[in-house]
Amino acid sequence: MMREPAIQLAPGAEDNGFAVMLAQLIRQNIDDRPEKKRALARMLGRVALVVSDLGLAVTLLFERGRLTLLDGIVGIPDVTIRAPSEWHTRMSLVEIEPRFGLPDPRGTVAREVFEASRRGEVQVYGALASPTLVLRLTQLMSVV
Amino acid sequence: MAHEFPSEEWTQAFAAAVNDNEDYRKHGKPWTYGAVAMVISRNPELGLEEDTGMILDVDQGVCRGTRYVKGMDAVQEAPFVIVAPYDRWKQVIRGEVDPIKAMMEGKLKMTKGHLPTMLRFVESSRALVVSATKVPTRFLDE
Repeated sequence: MMREPAIQLAPGAEDNGFAVMLAQLIRQNIDDRPEKKRALARMLGRVALVVSDLGLAVTLLFERGRLTLLDGIVGIPDVTIRAPSEWHTRMSLVEIEPRFGLPDPRGTVAREVFEASRRGEVQVYGALASPTLVLRLTQLMSVV
Repeated sequence: MAHEFPSEEWTQAFAAAVNDNEDYRKHGKPWTYGAVAMVISRNPELGLEEDTGMILDVDQGVCRGTRYVKGMDAVQEAPFVIVAPYDRWKQVIRGEVDPIKAMMEGKLKMTKGHLPTMLRFVESSRALVVSATKVPTRFLDE
């Protein structure tokens, strides 16, 4: 049986607006969509999201259904995504392919993000070593 | 003539500016999720003895009406509630702050509402802010 997801802010993260926003987004996403809840239940690893223009960072610690958001970069992330705020917002609009619930590489926004990463505007570290974590993260965060 | 912010007159002028904004008509067209309340936290130094709210009844790219209210209870009818102190709203109205960035920084707080929906309407949120910049405004602290 799938464990009920738990999403919590670590002490100190409640003052980080980006962490608060991500927690709210993920809570509402998994309430709306069971496939996102399933994705969260499978995620294991540490992801750092860095908002380069605002000097903000959040670490998301995934422990198979349990997510803790920490202020700043804490520990050694498996995946780090560094981008300006505009692109972090855009990434939440990446199209999800309905059959498998994975990011649709043919989607307009998905292609824009891919091009932005080629130009270096969006930097993703660790995707080759942890591709599943990146795919599930995209699925979890997407609002479309 | 400049309108005092916040006030009933400012709220109505904002609604008129929203309805004059072609970008808002376009980006807000799919919006059918209900009214949005902008709340200014109480600030007795500026004469705002209670939280003050402006409720915009936006639907399908038009603002159908407004309400200017006092107290947090009065804004709970709106499905989306965004709260900030006076100086933050002032920056937003002057176009100095992007609303989504401000939310990321915790400068604007969405205390009620569905964030995934709000993120799908980033461009219409920005068009609302552009509309606010068009309202001739007199600020309480100037």
